[in-house]
Amino acid sequence: MALGTAAMLTFPLLYVTYSALTGDLSLIPRLWATRLPELLTNTISLALGVSLTTLTLGVSTAWVMTRYQFWGRAFWDWGFVLPLAIPSFVLAYIYSYLLDTAGPVEQAWQWLTHSDDRIPSPYSFMGALVVMTLNTFPYVYLLARAAFQNFNLSFEEAAQATGATRRETFFRVSLPLIRPALVASMFLVILYVVSDFGAVSLLRFQTFTYAIYQQITGRFDYQSASLLSLLLVAFALIFLFAERWFRTQSRFYQTSGRVRTATPKPCSWMKAIGINLTFLFIFSAAFGLPVLLLIQWTFAAWTSGEMESSLGRYIWNSLFLSAIAATAALALGTPLAYLASRIPTRFHLACLQGAYIGYVLPGPVAALALLMVFTNTLPFLYGTVLVLILAYLVHYLPAGLQAMESAMQEVNPNLEEAARNLGAKGIRTFMQITFPLVRKGFSAAWLLMFLLCMKELPATLLLRPIGFDTLAVRIWLEASEELYQLAAPPALLIVLLTIPAVFLLSKKNWQAGEGSVQ
Amino acid sequence: MLHSFFMLLTFMLLYFGMLGVPDLSAEESVVVYSGRAERLIKPVLDHFQQTTGTTVQLLTAGSTELVNRLRAEGAQSPADVFITNEAGALEMARHLHLLQPITLPTVATTIPTQFRAPDNSWIGLSGRIWIVVYNTNMVDPSTIHSLLDLATPPWKGKLAIPNASSEYLQAGASMVLAAKGEKTADAFLQGIRDNAGNEVYAKNRQIVDAVAKGKVAVGLVNHYYIFRHLGTDPQAPIAPLITDQDNDGIGAIMNVAGIGLTAHAKHMSAANELITFLMSSAGQEMFASINKEYPVNPSIQADPVLPPSSSFRASTIPLTRLAELREPIIQTIERLGLR
Repeated sequence: MALGTAAMLTFPLLYVTYSALTGDLSLIPRLWATRLPELLTNTISLALGVSLTTLTLGVSTAWVMTRYQFWGRAFWDWGFVLPLAIPSFVLAYIYSYLLDTAGPVEQAWQWLTHSDDRIPSPYSFMGALVVMTLNTFPYVYLLARAAFQNFNLSFEEAAQATGATRRETFFRVSLPLIRPALVASMFLVILYVVSDFGAVSLLRFQTFTYAIYQQITGRFDYQSASLLSLLLVAFALIFLFAERWFRTQSRFYQTSGRVRTATPKPCSWMKAIGINLTFLFIFSAAFGLPVLLLIQWTFAAWTSGEMESSLGRYIWNSLFLSAIAATAALALGTPLAYLASRIPTRFHLACLQGAYIGYVLPGPVAALALLMVFTNTLPFLYGTVLVLILAYLVHYLPAGLQAMESAMQEVNPNLEEAARNLGAKGIRTFMQITFPLVRKGFSAAWLLMFLLCMKELPATLLLRPIGFDTLAVRIWLEASEELYQLAAPPALLIVLLTIPAVFLLSKKNWQAGEGSVQ
Repeated sequence: MLHSFFMLLTFMLLYFGMLGVPDLSAEESVVVYSGRAERLIKPVLDHFQQTTGTTVQLLTAGSTELVNRLRAEGAQSPADVFITNEAGALEMARHLHLLQPITLPTVATTIPTQFRAPDNSWIGLSGRIWIVVYNTNMVDPSTIHSLLDLATPPWKGKLAIPNASSEYLQAGASMVLAAKGEKTADAFLQGIRDNAGNEVYAKNRQIVDAVAKGKVAVGLVNHYYIFRHLGTDPQAPIAPLITDQDNDGIGAIMNVAGIGLTAHAKHMSAANELITFLMSSAGQEMFASINKEYPVNPSIQADPVLPPSSSFRASTIPLTRLAELREPIIQTIERLGLR
C-alpha cells in the first residue's frame, strides 16, 4: 500500500518528465533565449525578497511576543496567525484594487501630501513582494515563536555577563541559536512563493508557475509547460534536500541539562503603545483591512441584489471536497509514515521521499497530467470529483505527511513492542497504542491539508466537474473579471470557514522542520 | 474506531463521487463549455433554459484552455457545444477535429458566410471590433489613421495594450500579418511593445479605465468595453475610434463570439435546439442588448449607441485564417518578448 501511494503521488511527475523529454528538444534553446532569463530572475528575486522581508517581520514580531508582557498581547497571540486564512489570490485582488492608479491608497497619499504623486503600481515586483510577504509571514512568526519559547536563556546571560550589548547579544547569540527555525521557515516561504499561482497571475508578475499556467491555458504547449515544470521541480528538490540537510545539522544546537526559558517581562506603557501601534499596522495590512473591504463589498453586493444565488452549493462543495481530501490523505499517509519510522528499510524510506515529490510539482501541471491519464485509462472516472481529490492528494499529502512523520517519530517504539509482547497483533497495536498517541499530530496534519485544499485553485480550475464550482473557483472567475463586489462574498466565506482551522493549527507548538506548508 | 472511520470515508467518497458526475443521461440537457464571461452568456442560457425546459450545464474557463481540455478529453468529453469569445479558438478546435458540422438548415439563411466555418462546424453569434479608445482631453483623433500608427515613436509611453496571452491581441496581430505581411506585423508588435512599456493589461476593462483616468492616452480594446464604461460613467473623457478605413487600409478588425458543435456531442437535439435559439432574433437581441455587440444575423439591429455596422468597412480577411496564423503569431509575440 505504501508503494501504491508513493507511486500514485510520483506518477504525475513521471508523466511530466516523459512529455518534456519526448518532444522536440530544440524547444530548450528557444525557451532559454526567450522566456527563461526573465522567469529565473523574477522567481529567484521574488523568493529571496519575500524570505528576507518575512524573516524580518516574523522574527521581530515573535521576539516581542515572547520577551515582553504588555496589554493586548493575548490578542496578537492569535491575531498574527489569522492572515493564514486569506488565500493569496484574495489578498492579491484586494491589493490590486487598493494600490491601483487613482485607487484608495493613491488618493489618500495625494490628499495627505497635497501632491500629484503616483504610487508604484501593484502590477510589479513590489506588488507581488508586498502581497506574498503579508500572506506568508505568519509561518515565520509561528516557527520563530516556538523557537524563542524553547530558547535557553543561559546563553544570552553568558553573553551579557561578558560585556556584550543587548544588540550584540541579539544578533550574535539569540539569532544564530534559532537558526534551525529560521532556515526551516525560509525554505517554507521560498517553496510557497515559487509554487504560488493565484497571486502572481492576478498581479501579472511572471514567475515560473504563472508562465507554466499560461503555457497550458493560453496555448496548447504542454511540452514547454513540462520543461518549465521540470526546472521548477529541480529547484524545489534542491531546496527540499538542503532543508533536510540543515535539519540533520541542527541537532548540534540541542543542549543537554537544565534549560531555562525566557519569561515575558513587563514593559513601560510608552513601549506598549508603540508595540500595539506597530502590530496594529501589520495586522491591518495582512488581515484587518482586507477583511473589512470584503465585508463592505459583500454588503454592497447584498444590497444591490447581485449576490450569487447558489453560494450555499459552493460552500458545500468547498467544505466537503476539502474534508474528504484531507481525510483520504490521512488514511493514505498513515502507512507511509508508519512504515518509514518503524521499519525504515531503504524501500520504505524511498516511498516516503517519493511521496514528497508531488509537493513541488506545480498544481496546474499535475492536474493536466491527471486529466490526460484518466481520460486515457479510466474514462468512466473522469469528470468526477474523485480525480479532483486525487489532484489534491498529490499536491498536499506531502504537507500533511511531514506533520504525521514527526508525530510518529515522537512515539516511543518500546510502547508498541510491549503491546506486541503482550500478544496484541499489528493492527490492534496501531489502533490501541500508536493511534491515540499520534492523534494530536494527525489532527494537525488533517487541519493543515483541509486548509490548503480550501484555498486550492489551479487544479480545481482544470479538473472540476461541470457545474461543480468551489468558493475558490468563484472568487477566481469574478476577480479575473475585476468584479470585486461579486468576488467578495465567496472570499469572505473562505476566510470565515478556514479561521477555525487556522486557529486550531496555531495552538499546536510548531517546531522547526515540522509542518511545511505550501 | 478506525474501522468505522474508514467505512465512513469509503461511504463519503462513493457518495461524493456520484454527486460530481453530471446527470448526462437526461435527454433534456445540454453541456456547454464556455470561454465567455459568465455575466455575458449566463443570462442568455438561463433564458433558453426557462423557455424550453432544457437544462443547461455550464462550465466556464478560458477559450484556449477549453480547447486544450476538449483535446485532452477526446471522445470522453461531456461537452455538447463550445462557446467562445473569438473565432480563432473555434477554428483551432475545428482544425483539431474537435467539432462537427451543424446541419441545421437555418444556418445558411441566417449567418453570413464570412462569420462561419466553411463546413458550418462553428458559427458566429455576435461581432465585435478591435478598435482604439482614446482620451478626448489628450488626443486629437485626426492624428490616428491606422492601428499601425500606434506603433510609431510619438506614442511612446502613451499606449495601453492587452497582454501576450490575450486572444484579441493575437487575433488583431494575425489580421495585420494577413493583410500586410510579416515585416509590418513584426514592426507593429515591436512598436506597441515599446510604446506600452509597463502598461500591459490582462483585461480590456482595465485598459479603458487607464485611458479614462488619463494614465495613458490611447488603448486597444474591443468596442463594447468603451460603451460599457460610458454606460456607467457618461462623463468619462473617452471615445472610440475606428481606424484603417482608407482604401488600401486593413479595414476595421472584426471578430466574432461563436458556438461550435463538438465532435462527440451526446445530446444532439438539445444542442441543436440551443444553437437555433442563439441564432434566432430572441437570442440575437439579447447579445446586442446585454453586451452591446453587433448581432451577426443581419436582420437584427445593433444597439443605437454603437456606430451602425454600415458606417464602417470591416476587414474582408476571412476569420478562418485566424487559426492558421495563430501559431506563427504566438511565436512572433514570444520572440519579440511581449509580456
